[in-house]
Parts: sequence; structure tokens; C-alpha cells
Amino acid sequence: MDNSRLVTVKRSTDAVAVHTPGDVSYLGHIRELVCDLAHKVGFPSEDIAKIEMAVDEACTNIVEHAYAPDANWRWQQQRPEIRIVVRIARDQLIVELNDHGQHFDFAAYRPANVQDRAQDMQTGGYGIAIMREFMDEVVYTSSDAEGNTLRLVKYLKKT
Amino acid sequence: MKDFQLEHQTRGSIQLVRLNGSLDMYSFPRLEAQLNTFFQQGRYTVLLDCQALDYIGSAGLGALIGFAKLAREQGGDLKLMNVPERIFKIIELLGFTKVLQVHKDEAAAVASFGKS
Repeated sequence: MDNSRLVTVKRSTDAVAVHTPGDVSYLGHIRELVCDLAHKVGFPSEDIAKIEMAVDEACTNIVEHAYAPDANWRWQQQRPEIRIVVRIARDQLIVELNDHGQHFDFAAYRPANVQDRAQDMQTGGYGIAIMREFMDEVVYTSSDAEGNTLRLVKYLKKT
Repeated sequence: MKDFQLEHQTRGSIQLVRLNGSLDMYSFPRLEAQLNTFFQQGRYTVLLDCQALDYIGSAGLGALIGFAKLAREQGGDLKLMNVPERIFKIIELLGFTKVLQVHKDEAAAVASFGKS
């Protein structure tokens, strides 16, 4: 059995850590986990849908771009992998996505907003704009030692 | 978690495609292949039934926009119907409902093709 294909789950009191292969066939599993935890925090369904899409776009970008066949991975000897940590708190959900693929100049990338792209009938390039539109914090860090980490935060709004 | 499936029927001049499951980067090539086939066959009038759609990501939305754009150049279009409320709210917020027609049901969607 190829153990690298297994999804491993490690639970702690306020966080769930999951390592998945960097493969689009795992996107549905990642969305399901994040939606379940967002529900646990108490987010309304519209916010859960936003979190679901932001995380899906982020993971898709990792597979499609950070781990692109022609990309320079940080740790060439390893298989593509996404390390996900979802931290749940009383009033927020934090999703950290770590990969060891190619670095991206996230801060400098300022695409047109999603609505303008849609109006122009663009067929792609929506991912980062959607993350910024739907999440309260989107922070990307990168280092040779730790790889690339994207931190997505959504606050539970008081009603 | 259910696998993405699509089912195609021809209703007069309209290609009706029922989507079932999640349309993400993993599954969207199947829809894209179906849309490419329609285009190669000169079938430019497509209606997507989204009643059983659980999720759509930007890859799927991009494929729909791409086909709609090409179909309109040929006098056709791609429209959606029976979009679940949860999905409708998201695509509306992102501005996709301004460029893709969304109809409540099949009768309304079919009638709209007659008008365009």
C-alpha cells in the first residue's frame, strides 16, 4: 500500500491538523473538513460557503501553481503535500495551508477584483481575489525552512 | 462525499446538462470536455440544471463563462437553472450572475432562449 496517499488526521483541543497529498482529488475532503469545523464555530451558512470557496481556491492554487510540474519546489525530494491546520476559537476560524512548492510573490499580486474580472468574462485568475473578497485576513509567508504558508482568517460576526 | 456526475439530454435545440455533486478543479475537466464537444458539434444553446450541484469553484465558473462567450458569438448561450440558494448567493456576490443568466426553473429558462 502506498502510504503517501493516506490522509492523516491529528486532533488537539482547538485545532485539527491534516496532511493531504497535493492533488486536486483531495479538494473535496479538505472542503468537507473545513465546512464541518466552520459549522462547529457557529458561522452562518453564507459565511461557511465563503470559507469553503476561499480554502478550495487556495488549495487549488497550491496544486496548480506551487506544485506545477515546471515549478522549483523547495524540497525536491518530497512528494507534493498540503499541510492544513484549522484552528477553531469562539469567534473565529483560522486555516493555515502549508506547502513546499514554488514561492509566489503574493503581496505584489493585486489582480482586478472578482466582479470586474467576471464582467470582462475572464475565464481564470480568480483564486486570490476570491480569497481576499471572502476572508477577513489573508497572509502569505514563505521561507526555505518552513515552505509557504497561507493563513486565512474569518471572524464570526456578532449579531 | 459524492462524485461529480453530469447527464446530458437534447431538448429540441437545447442541450440540457444536469450537474450532480461538486464542480471543482478535480471535476471540471469533465464538464469542459462536454462543453467542447457541444462546440465542435455546433450546439451552442446549453442549459445547465444545477439542482443537485453541491459546490462550484472558480475553475467551473471560468469554464461556464468561456463557453457562454464562444456560444454568444455563434448566436447561442449557456444559462443556468435551479441553482441552490447557497450557491446562488455566492455567485451573485462575485458578480457572475451579471454575465450568466440564471433562471428559476426549466420553463423560464427555455422561454428565455426563445426570446434571445
